[in-house]
Amino acid sequence: MRVGRSVTSGLSALFLLAAAEGTLADGASGMSRQELPPNAPQARQVTAATAQYAVPAVTLVRDDGKAVSLPEEMNDGRTVVLNFVFTSCGSTCPLMSQVLAQFQRKLGPAIHKVHLMSISIDPEEDTPARLAEYARKFASGSDWQYYTGTLEASIAAQRAFDVYRGDKMSHAPVTLMRLAPGQPWRRIDGILTPDDLLSEYLQLLVAK
Amino acid sequence: MVAAHAAGPGERIYREGILPSGQPVQAERGPSMHITAATAACVNCHRRSGLGMQEGRTTIPPVAGIYLFHPRAGTVDDLDLPFVEGMRADRDPYTEATLARAIREGIGADGRRLSYLMPQYTLDEQQMAGLIAYLKELSPGAVPGVTPAMLHFAAIFTPDADPVTRQGVLDVLEKFFADKNHYVRADSPRLRSSRRMKFKVNRPWQLHIWDLHGPPETWEAQLRARLSAEPVFAVISGVGGANWAPVHRFCEAQSLPCLFPNVDLPVVAENDFDNLYFSKGVLLEAQLLARELKEHRDARVRRVVQVFRAADVGKAAAGKLADALSGEGLTIIDRSLPQAGGARDLAGALRGLNAQDALVLWLRPGDLAALGTLPHELSSVLMSGRMGGLERAPLPAAWRGITRIAYPFDLPELRRVRVDYPLGWFSIRKIPVVAQQAQTDTWLACGILSDAINHMADTFVRDYLVERVEEMLEHRIVTGYYPRLALAPGQRFASKGGYLVRFADPAGPKVLAVSEWMTP
Repeated sequence: MRVGRSVTSGLSALFLLAAAEGTLADGASGMSRQELPPNAPQARQVTAATAQYAVPAVTLVRDDGKAVSLPEEMNDGRTVVLNFVFTSCGSTCPLMSQVLAQFQRKLGPAIHKVHLMSISIDPEEDTPARLAEYARKFASGSDWQYYTGTLEASIAAQRAFDVYRGDKMSHAPVTLMRLAPGQPWRRIDGILTPDDLLSEYLQLLVAK
Repeated sequence: MVAAHAAGPGERIYREGILPSGQPVQAERGPSMHITAATAACVNCHRRSGLGMQEGRTTIPPVAGIYLFHPRAGTVDDLDLPFVEGMRADRDPYTEATLARAIREGIGADGRRLSYLMPQYTLDEQQMAGLIAYLKELSPGAVPGVTPAMLHFAAIFTPDADPVTRQGVLDVLEKFFADKNHYVRADSPRLRSSRRMKFKVNRPWQLHIWDLHGPPETWEAQLRARLSAEPVFAVISGVGGANWAPVHRFCEAQSLPCLFPNVDLPVVAENDFDNLYFSKGVLLEAQLLARELKEHRDARVRRVVQVFRAADVGKAAAGKLADALSGEGLTIIDRSLPQAGGARDLAGALRGLNAQDALVLWLRPGDLAALGTLPHELSSVLMSGRMGGLERAPLPAAWRGITRIAYPFDLPELRRVRVDYPLGWFSIRKIPVVAQQAQTDTWLACGILSDAINHMADTFVRDYLVERVEEMLEHRIVTGYYPRLALAPGQRFASKGGYLVRFADPAGPKVLAVSEWMTP
């Protein structure tokens, strides 16, 4: 059962969607539990935790070429979903970006309450033009923006969210979500599914 | 750049995500996570070598046939296969049927689900057979340039390479190889180590010097003849002149890694594979100068006048700068000087310049030294640091105040400690420093090759050499002129930026940055 676009945005629509796909969140960890076939599918190593992070006052360059302040980009009142990517990444980033793309799709009109942000961890290669090209592959809508800038600014942002691992090849999949400015962050380590991300969002909304 | 051979059906699926029909490959990674074409290509994770890779804490296993079809063994040590992370011993071999099931349904040889990262592919019987046949071809086997007794490498020098640079680079290469071999004990047996330690193999290196001659159209044939007579595992360093394209094409066509040649003008083809460069050279400088002209040019400037020698790299650089400035409303004038000309041509090219002109000099030290008096009204001069000799450029005193120099390296005082490594080694090995930047680049390239080969242990696969360099470069200390080096699939230029600098004084090598580090 799929929830059509005729259902207006709101909690009820999202709950219906999540229930229909059988992946409503487990309370404690916020993780979805899918029905597993008997021959023990390999567990995805996904963990979620709540954390506080201080957003550094760095200037980044958005994929539209504009120089922007990271705190201002993050603090316009919307929910923020953040991840870190680089356009030359062959395995993890295309998958994580696709998860965000599916999350964007599932939210439907409710996407306007959410700001999706992807910061490049290879800013010297990832020019705004390259990011824009990458964004097109995932049908990134107007609520999803990519960021580059100087190496120092990128590293400062990575360090602030404890994702910096020294070089881009050592990066690990992480997705961060904050319901509103001033709230704590949810940090999800691992290759999550779009439904995992949706569950996290619903949990935060319910807890509000 | 075109491949020398037509890709077979399996190779096209594996590398490009395209079916024999020309249609894109379709795959799924869980419900509603559909991927297609290039995004679905196996190469993204399993790499061109088929040996997999490590990204963060994720290990992508090898899929070259020998790693799939080998008999079950107790430990990895019991398998007589070249070591790669992610290889598994304790698993029943795949059959063609179970491998097809793995690719279609994500179930492993042991009946358990494969990693979530592995997509499930829609392939018919014929397509699947083609892909599996290709995986068998990927198996490491006998490699040209690798014998139990020796590793063979070549360095390529074009006839128009600067002779002084060539000699300096050659000195570094020969001494580096001699050093490497000095520490190899003769007849050392192949060492096997315990679980989780890599196999270590001591093998001396042999350097083959391939000097090309005659016109560029003949170079590829010469290189084919050389490779046939002297098989080598990879090409390291070397020196080029104004035209490196035939060498670049040759290496791509032969799937021969070509690591960090000393060229001011590389070939820009980011989706090629085998040719790795430290930087885009004068093309990067053109981008730096374009940025400077776009953002900081004097309000009076209406024209950009570029001066270069016809057969040198400045011509291509001038073209790149002109392209980068399109849309700025500036008139671009190229003043090309005959290659064998002298100071008179140069003086002629500097006539009629005034405050409305930004003069761009794509000149070598000989021409810079002959610049003569600064044209009276000229206030805007830009030049190639790389061509001119960086902080040793013999720019006359009168020109120094107004000239802005493209400087695609770390600043001298910032790089001093890191460059002391090669300079110290040159001193101990009594190598005359005649082309410091090219010689330190060469020493750095040799070190990178050496590190990569060490990590490969006994897995001598050419594509794998390129992949290891890509993976390790970013966290290796840069004992050279560059502040940072990084590569990745689709990135063939390891250093991507530079400064604008000016001379601090009317004489001497002190330079001051007039910009931040820019990555245009």
